[in-house]
Order: sequence, then structure tokens, then C-alpha cells
Amino acid sequence: MIKLEKVSKIYKPDIKALDQIDFHIEPGEFVSLVGQSGTGKTTLVKVLTGEEKVSKGKIIIGGWDVTNLSKREIPYLRRQIAVIFQDFKLLPKKSLLENVAFALQVCGQPKKRIMDIAPKVMKIVGLEHRMHRYPHEVSGGEKQRTAIARSLVYQPKILLADEPTGNLDSINAEEIVQLLKKINSFGTTVVLVTHNKDVVNKLGKRVITLHDGKVISDQKRGKYII
Amino acid sequence: MLVSILRIIKFSFQDIFRNVWLSLVTVLILILTLFSVNLLLIVKVISSATVENIKQKIDISLYLKTDAKDAEIAALKNKVSAIEEVESVKYVSKEEALDKFREKHRNDAEIISSLQELENNPLTPSLMIHAKDINQYNNLINKLNKIDDPIIESRDFADHKEMLNKINSITTKVSDAGFLVSALFIFVTLLVIFNTVKVAIYTHRGEIAIMRLVGASNWFVKTPFLISSLIYTLFSTLVVIGVIYLFLGLLHPYMQTFFLGYDINILEYFNQNFLQIFGLQFLIAAAVNMLASLMAVSKYSHV
Repeated sequence: MIKLEKVSKIYKPDIKALDQIDFHIEPGEFVSLVGQSGTGKTTLVKVLTGEEKVSKGKIIIGGWDVTNLSKREIPYLRRQIAVIFQDFKLLPKKSLLENVAFALQVCGQPKKRIMDIAPKVMKIVGLEHRMHRYPHEVSGGEKQRTAIARSLVYQPKILLADEPTGNLDSINAEEIVQLLKKINSFGTTVVLVTHNKDVVNKLGKRVITLHDGKVISDQKRGKYII
Repeated sequence: MLVSILRIIKFSFQDIFRNVWLSLVTVLILILTLFSVNLLLIVKVISSATVENIKQKIDISLYLKTDAKDAEIAALKNKVSAIEEVESVKYVSKEEALDKFREKHRNDAEIISSLQELENNPLTPSLMIHAKDINQYNNLINKLNKIDDPIIESRDFADHKEMLNKINSITTKVSDAGFLVSALFIFVTLLVIFNTVKVAIYTHRGEIAIMRLVGASNWFVKTPFLISSLIYTLFSTLVVIGVIYLFLGLLHPYMQTFFLGYDINILEYFNQNFLQIFGLQFLIAAAVNMLASLMAVSKYSHV
């Protein structure tokens, strides 16, 4: 599903954010990508979503070489790889449902389809009773669930979660992890980028550990080792 | 596709109304630019028409002796007509000259009563010569001076060319100044549109980031800003059409009085060339604005 071959990212003049990264994530896997701040986790998310180009190496996603995508191709990649972030990235003047619908609107989906899909994904994330509320009226966990709902509207093959529990308390963090597991159980490959030791250790899934831009450990049922 | 186009137009109007004051300033600058261009056009049309009318009215007269015979006059007329620079030659009899004189001075009681006191017609017949091109005026005068015919009593070669040169010189200066003002306004417009789009992008940075995140195409992200600049241009052109027609409506009576006897109708000129004038202005303004928007979008929309 996701294959990285000797991927390096060097920022000028000579800062190596990623150094010869090699790994292969199978379809339907749940992988935690861990490491301390500044180890290259976010850079890895950026190269996977086409936001940054790699300096060396090759990235293949679902058989598609995305190493040197043109600007025109990036939107298609983004519909395959959904991303959620620590800061939720919701529009404050839109209700939770409108935030989800917005993702469909800007990609040209007809109104009827939007009215069909948006409430369904809100139900999947357990927000069907709060979908007409605005972001400032709900908790951090609910905001993150909305962001997840938004990421699901195109039924992506991969969900990249970049520190999704970073702004949440332990109860909300646990709920989000459970939701990610539920999405994974539907067949979506989930890559959880985090430095939350408790979350990773409880999961008992594959863990890839980064340090100074290099993969220092890749365990099938791993623990947070740093 | 249609759904996307409608949404893009909706987002464009959102851009405009979220920064309503900035949009108003942008439209105002555009109106000033287009107005200055139209003023320049009005000056150009009036001056060209004036010069053309004056040219039509400039005649050279050869005054003939009262006792000149018809055959002699016809021979001289043929001789003058044969000159290369001559467009037309018209014989004006002394009776016609008197009628014209009376008509010209009909409101001057003193001249009319003086005429009545005279028993005979004091005026002489003449040949009115019209030049083909005002620039060949000097050549024509030289050639006319060389004609030595006993029936010629006197020659009126007042130098109208000097006056035309002055009109042309003033017109050129006014046009140059107008051109500079218009160029300045176009430059200011470019800057204003560029900054308007920059601010609009800043206002929408949240939406743009999410659009890119969820895979909206580049044209969907960028086009609303281009459409906004088109809407500004369209609105400004419509306002300018209204303002120019109001201005021409106010100017028209004064123009008719000032240019009495001249064939100058600026209102009619705008009516006849409406599409060329305002259509072309809209297209050029739209192109300039789209260019500025495109520059701003390319530079700032990578949120």
C-alpha cells in the first residue's frame, strides 16, 4: 500500500530531515509512526501527501509512484490519502455538518450526494446528534471526530493521523484511538503519527520508530521505545 | 462541472462581500481609471472633429475684377483647378457675395444700413479655392501667387495653417497628459487589484488550506479570485457607462452652443460606437485585472 525506498529529504543548506527511509505498509495495516519532536515525523507526513518533494528515493502509494507528482495530480493523491491534524483544521463559521459537507462541495460533488454522505459519516464518528453545532460549541474530541468524518467522505484507502490526540485529554484521546481502530477495521490503512507513549503501547500494533530522520526500529507488535 | 462553476461564482461573491470596503475601494479605483480613459477619448474626439471642421471651412479666395468676362473667369477657374493641391474651386458672383455678407451681418444694424446707403454692390466676385490637404497649403499659395491673370484684383491668403498647428499642438499636449494620467491609473489599478486579491486570499486562508487538504483542484481554489476581479471590472464598466452618459448629457447643450455651425456631436459618437468603446474598455480592464489576480493567486494561494 505504502512503499518508501531510500527516501531522503534534505533542507538547504544541509539539514537531513529524512535519511534513507525504507519501509512497506501493507493494505489494511494499522501502523504507529513514533519518535521525539524533530525526528522527521511531520516531514514524512508532508512527503506522503505531496506537500513536500523528496530529495532522493521513491514513494509508491497503491502502486502509484508519487515521488514527483505534478501540482495537477496532487489533489487526486489527497483524495486517496486523508489527513487529520492536531489542530483539527475546522472552519469556525460552519457547523460540524457543514464542515464535512465543505470537503465534498469543493470537489464538485452534487448537493444530493452531499446530503446523503455527510450525515452518514457523522453517524460513523458518533456525532449524529451534534452535527448542527459549531466548532466552538463542542469538545476537542468532538472536533477531532468531525475532522475524521471529513476525512472519510471520499472513503480513502489511507488515513494519516498527524498527532491527532496532541490537543486532547486522555479520555478523548482514547475515544479517538478507538475510532481510528474502527475505521481500520473497515479496511482503511491507518498511519498514526504520534509521540504519545500510552496510546502506542495500548494499541499493540506495528510501530515504526524514527530518530534523527532514520528508521531505528520497525516492530510488528511494538512498543514506544524511546 | 456546472455545479463547480456555480460554487466558484458563489465563492467569488463571498470574497467580495467579506471584504466589502476593500472591494468598494477597488471598484472606485477602477471607475477612476476607466473615467480618465473616457475623458481622454472625449478630448480626442472633440479635438479631431474640431480640426476636421476647421479644415473644411478654410478657403483661399481670389478676388476678381467686377468687369471680368465669363469666359475669362472660366479660363482662370480651369487653370486653378488644374493645380495638384486643389480639391475644388467655386465661383462666387458679386450677388452671392452680397447675400452671404448680408446673412453674416444680419444682426448688425449699422452695417446693413450702410449697405442700403450704397447704390451699387461694393463686393467683387471671387473664386473660393479649397485645398486637398492642409499640409500642402504653402505649396498651393506659392502656385497661386505665380498665376498672373489681369482679372485678379486681389488675393486673400490669410495663414490658417498657423491656427491649425496651434490646435493640433494643444490637442497633442492634452492627449499626452491624459495618456500619462490613464497609464498611472492603470498601474495603480494593477497594484490595487493585486493587493485586494492578496487580502482576499489571507481572509480565506482557512478555507484554502482545507480545500487543498481535502483534494480540491487548483482551478477550484484559484478561479474564485479571478472571477471576483471580473465582477469588479464588469461592475465598474457599468458604473462608468452611467457616469459618462450623465457627463455627456450635461456637456451636450454647452457643446452644441460652443460649436455652433460645426458638425460635432459627441453623444452621437458614443451612441454609434458604444460596443467598440465600452466593450474594448471592459476587455482590456478585465485582462489587466485578471493578470494582477493571477499574479497574486500564484504568489499567495499556496496556503
